[in-house]
Amino acid sequence: MAAETAEKQSFAVRHHFLLRRLHSLSGIVPVGVFLIMHLTVNASINVGADVFEENVERIHALGPLLIPVEIVGIFIPILFHALLGFQIWFSGQPNTGAYSYGGNFRYMLQRVTGGIAFVFILYHLWHMHWLGNSFGGGFFDHRPGAAASTAAEAMQMSIWAIPVSVLYAIGVIASVYHFSNGIWTSLITWGITVGPSSQRIAGYACAMFGIVLGLVGLSSVRGFAKFDANATTETASHADSVDSNETLETQAG
Amino acid sequence: MSRKINVAIKRQYDQSSGSQWEKFSVDYEPGMNMTTVLQRIAAQPVTSEGKDSTPVAYDACCLEEVCGACSMLINGKVRQACSALVDNLLEDKPDQITLEPMSKFPVVRDLVVDRSFMYNALKKVRAWVPVDGYFDRGAGPKMSPHEQEDMYPLTTCMTCGCCVEACPQINERSNFIGPQAISQGVLFNEHPVGKFEEDERMEALAGAGGIADCGNAQNCVKVCPKNIPLTRSIAKAGKMATKHAFKRFFGS
Ligand code: HEM
Ligand code: HEM
Ligand code: SF4
Ligand code: SF4
Ligand code: FES
Repeated sequence: MAAETAEKQSFAVRHHFLLRRLHSLSGIVPVGVFLIMHLTVNASINVGADVFEENVERIHALGPLLIPVEIVGIFIPILFHALLGFQIWFSGQPNTGAYSYGGNFRYMLQRVTGGIAFVFILYHLWHMHWLGNSFGGGFFDHRPGAAASTAAEAMQMSIWAIPVSVLYAIGVIASVYHFSNGIWTSLITWGITVGPSSQRIAGYACAMFGIVLGLVGLSSVRGFAKFDANATTETASHADSVDSNETLETQAG
Repeated sequence: MSRKINVAIKRQYDQSSGSQWEKFSVDYEPGMNMTTVLQRIAAQPVTSEGKDSTPVAYDACCLEEVCGACSMLINGKVRQACSALVDNLLEDKPDQITLEPMSKFPVVRDLVVDRSFMYNALKKVRAWVPVDGYFDRGAGPKMSPHEQEDMYPLTTCMTCGCCVEACPQINERSNFIGPQAISQGVLFNEHPVGKFEEDERMEALAGAGGIADCGNAQNCVKVCPKNIPLTRSIAKAGKMATKHAFKRFFGS
């Protein structure tokens, strides 16, 4: 155990409690709130390509503010949460073998799904976000008329269609489990659910929430995996003989 | 011919030596518990292969699950030897019973461990009522029967170490003080006289190694032989620590 004096203690040790509370908070706001919004916006593909594109347009209406908002509101909080999350993960010593209780499995899954979410997000940013452009990725074009079809095409690329959809399904399930179970633990962390019966009720509520959000997320994976990109771009651009892929490339380039 | 119980014990000569398994066979007696088994081995320390050995060192005191001295891993799980009935253990696993010292404490010898970790944690959270009494100050503040009922279970903690052993957040890489100390801190924070030192206790509970290191696995409450509502104490401590941090931030 550390015998350091207060002055010599590292920043992380002196602000241990604050950092852990910020970790808990960052999981809910903004990261968790982002996840809810992101998955619902994506699910609107099931209502119609135009609805999805309207929603995307509303986000991109931020214009030059979008990048700072993304950095401060999403990337930094996720990175902070994830880095501290890995540190917390490795400071624990899972023991589900000897103590196979439900709570202990959820504890372990909270760590594993966090790790899966992290890897998924890295892949996903390369795949869909313009950040991936310089690495041969970034297949998504947010502009109206292109948003729905480019997202769908990114999900359906030739032989990769099934693996990519499976990867997205795993990403959704891991993120949603992690978030729902995280809400449950955060209610204890902040002393909101104290007794066993309130924790049990909160457990059911978080499970219900997770199932609903998980279905919303999976429905968007399905929506993009099944979306017929050629059909709509043709009607949208009134192209009759031009292949829709070329249309898009000219639009994007 | 009498029935034999096979017991495999993880033995260690002293703090610095390595460990090895040794097997013993003990005559079955109805109603035996694991402390009885260890007594029989001590009386006749001969291994299953017939080799002479040394008596297996173990701790025991009350023999009725109130002192906490005899905690060890029985079939891989932490519990008290004195309340571990051989009949039940054999029902689960008839061929062999395994005994190991708890893994989160330094081994003194064989099944005896040094539980100073927990006493130091109690010191950190000042788990006592400050009374330095030269004068008779009269009766202290009254507690309602309801408060007493809430607090009584917490007072039954016997520092046995089960919760510490089962907690995934306690290991060589962490400074976490553990569920037992958190619960005792909460107990004395809620005590009408103990309350006066709440701020000092919260310094430890809201510091590094304090409540924030709990990962909510809730193993502690499952293994506690006294059924102490540890997770309730943990949630309360979380709330107290948040309040304390706010108070310190805005008050200074
Ligand atoms: C249901 C399947 C999903 C689809 C179709 C999808 C689609 C997209 C698209 C098209 C973008 C680019 C947005 C833009 O550049 O404007 C994006 C960004 C992003 N996605 Fe997803 N996503 C899905 C699931 C997830 C999941 C499960 C997470 C995990 C938390 C996630 C996290 C992110 C992040 C952090 C960004 C970057 C921030 C931003 O641009 O707003 N996505 N996603
Ligand atoms: C998809 C984005 C993520 C969301 C929405 C999210 C959300 C949350 C929430 C709400 C909590 C509960 C905090 C508490 O118990 O008070 C939490 C805990 C945790 N998160 Fe995340 N998280 C995300 C990504 C990650 C990543 C990438 C990691 C990296 C491994 C991670 C690791 C952890 C860990 C280890 C905990 C447990 C903390 C503890 O026991 O105190 N999370 N997360
Ligand atoms: S809280 Fe329970 S398990 Fe932990 S030391 Fe006290 S009695 Fe033992
Ligand atoms: S709830 Fe906290 S203290 Fe109890 S076993 Fe889990 S991590 Fe340890
Ligand atoms: S001898 Fe006291 S608890 Fe077992």
